[in-house]
Amino acid sequence: MSDAITLNGVTKTFGTKVAVRDLDLVVPTGAIYGFIGPNGAGKTTTIRMIMSILFPDCGQISVLGHESALDAKDRIGYLPEERGLYKKMKVGAFLMYMERLKRDSGTGSRSRVRGWLEKVGLADVENKKCEELSKGMQQKIQFISTGIHEPELLILDEPFSGLDPVNMRLLRDLVLEQGRRGATVIFSTHVMEQAEQICDHVIMINDGDKVLDDSLTEIRQRFDPRTILFESLEIGADVTALRSLPSVVDVTRTSAHHEISLKPGSDPGEAIREIVNAVPASRVELHRPTLEDIFVQIVTEGGNSALSLENLRAGLRRESAAGEAS
Amino acid sequence: MKKILHVALREFLSTVLTKGFILGVLVTPALIGFMVIMMPMLMNEEPPRIEGEVAVIDPTGEIVQGLAAYLKPEAIAERRSETQAKAKEVMEQIPGGAANAAMAQPSLDALLGDVPDLDIVKIDSGYDLDAEKDRLIGGESGPESRLALITVHPDAVRRVEGEETFGAYDLFVREKLDDRIIDEIRRGMRTTIVDSRIRQTDLDRATIEALTRVPRISSTTVTETGEKETNEVLNMLLPAGFMILLLISVMTGGQYLLTTTVEEKSSRVVEVLLSAVSPMQLMTGKILGQMGVGLVILALYAGMGVAGLVSFAMLGLLDLSLLFYLLIFYVIAYFVMASMMAAIGAAVNEMREAQTLMTPVMVTLMIPWMLWLPITRNPNSLFATITSFIPPINTFVMLLRMTSTSPPPMWQVWVTIGIGLLSVWGALWFAAKVFRVGLLMFGKPPNFATLIKWVKMA
Repeated sequence: MSDAITLNGVTKTFGTKVAVRDLDLVVPTGAIYGFIGPNGAGKTTTIRMIMSILFPDCGQISVLGHESALDAKDRIGYLPEERGLYKKMKVGAFLMYMERLKRDSGTGSRSRVRGWLEKVGLADVENKKCEELSKGMQQKIQFISTGIHEPELLILDEPFSGLDPVNMRLLRDLVLEQGRRGATVIFSTHVMEQAEQICDHVIMINDGDKVLDDSLTEIRQRFDPRTILFESLEIGADVTALRSLPSVVDVTRTSAHHEISLKPGSDPGEAIREIVNAVPASRVELHRPTLEDIFVQIVTEGGNSALSLENLRAGLRRESAAGEAS
Repeated sequence: MKKILHVALREFLSTVLTKGFILGVLVTPALIGFMVIMMPMLMNEEPPRIEGEVAVIDPTGEIVQGLAAYLKPEAIAERRSETQAKAKEVMEQIPGGAANAAMAQPSLDALLGDVPDLDIVKIDSGYDLDAEKDRLIGGESGPESRLALITVHPDAVRRVEGEETFGAYDLFVREKLDDRIIDEIRRGMRTTIVDSRIRQTDLDRATIEALTRVPRISSTTVTETGEKETNEVLNMLLPAGFMILLLISVMTGGQYLLTTTVEEKSSRVVEVLLSAVSPMQLMTGKILGQMGVGLVILALYAGMGVAGLVSFAMLGLLDLSLLFYLLIFYVIAYFVMASMMAAIGAAVNEMREAQTLMTPVMVTLMIPWMLWLPITRNPNSLFATITSFIPPINTFVMLLRMTSTSPPPMWQVWVTIGIGLLSVWGALWFAAKVFRVGLLMFGKPPNFATLIKWVKMA
């Protein structure tokens, strides 16, 4: 099977700022790839270059076997980050127009438009003007316009931004459905949780550099757990004994529990047994690193200051926190 | 190609099928129709009959009688009917004017107004000028009210020894006196004074009138196809009509193109579109769609113009091949204009920001207005020839020249078309580059220097 997208040494600068630096990337056909990184990392620029909306200063790009996405436009569904609708146009007419523009045959189908609208729970808006819809509804319409022509490759730039959890789940299922259909999906997000839920492969980009390019499973193995969450059976029990255990480096107290850091190379199973023996526990849990942890760890190795790390963490969580709150 | 047509079709329909467009296109002719119907009705409204006295201080003693005779109501009425007869005669000479003359009849009556009843009062010596003037003040009307005061200069009829010129008279009038009355008084004074002066000499008035009278002759244009009476008014208006038609249709399409491009950009639908079509396809589609809009306007207004000429039986005055050139010039002028509008629309974030960039385009479009008179008067001057080769005004100037009385040689027309096509190519090239870069640029509105930078960048 050939690759859906390959990037080879791609660099793009705007004035003096390097947006993307010497990026190599391979997306195999049929995969679901997450493209993650904080705001301003270069995700959108990379995607725009893949779509031949921007052109790289140097390097090669190949999309679905073509040198430019322009030659394969009808086989690609692209949901840009900056997206809108024709305010005065009716929803049905807009989707028909988009399908007509995107299909080789140049035809649109009313029944297909209705089918999609029903699928996202908006069957009754076909004859409404786009400006009458709420933001979340508009976003669903935009997603339909991306996938209505059943493209081989879907490129989604921040598809979930601004959605409530219910609609996020709905859209996530639609993305996964496209994946099952056999389409290659690339989507970018700055919220790591979303990537963890959907993709099987993650590309992490920070400040124009690719810092990670691996499958989720491999990533989890590579960044093996070094932290154990611990709650004592008795409230306020003395946990000093834990510090003297051979595999433990440090114990820190958080509001709800203790976090026990393990020595590099120690066996987590062995450590858990030692801990339970030392202090009776109501909860002992191996803490799996989130993508956020991994990302922060990678950036830390690059020698960033504590303050910028805090900002980074905040940026990676903002969206999900808002989602949970609503 | 199919995509371009889809874009063009959407652009055309979404413009033409809006209330704003339909109203805008229909309102202008409706207004003109309204004026045509309403104007005579408004003018038929009869002004009130004016009565009052005209006081004359006349040291020469030779004026009052003549003036009184001239301003007698019967005399005024007689002169008016003569004027009317003359006007009718003139109207009938103009092709298609007979119908107009009949239509104009009642309003001409109204224009002259009801015949005034003026009482000429002679003021004898021993008067107080200021007191007499004071009688002009005050608004009451009636046969007793004073409308005007005339003081004749003592040397108005007989020259002072050694002087070259005669004296005249001073005229004082009350506030808001109908200017038609003032005109009557002036003409009456002129006639009476001249009569009196002539009586002082050995000449007789009839002879002098016969000597000085040369009627105004309308000119006859000699052409290959025969002789026809020159219609000077139409000769001036025809070029203007064609130029306005070209300007309006080019402007409408261009303006809509700018608006829709800015809208697409500010509503962020543009990148969604760019996922389906290339910037070049999008721009071409939009330009073609709005060209259709301009053509609708052109066809509508040109059709109305031709229909108007037909109804007045004046179609013979119009060389129909001009309509063909109008179409060619429209396409050229529109493409240049539309390219600029597309580039500006893509460069800015909202309409407000477009204004600064629009100014040079608007100023350029003003130039044909300024050139209208000099070029129609002198359509083959060096100036006219040169300006008809300079884009982007070349098409407008050439149209003015072609519709004038002495059209330019055909080779010049084709040079203009050739230069026009080159300028279309250049404008599209520029616009395509700016359009591609500008569409996805948000933030500070660019100036022309930035646009040039984008062109180099793209």
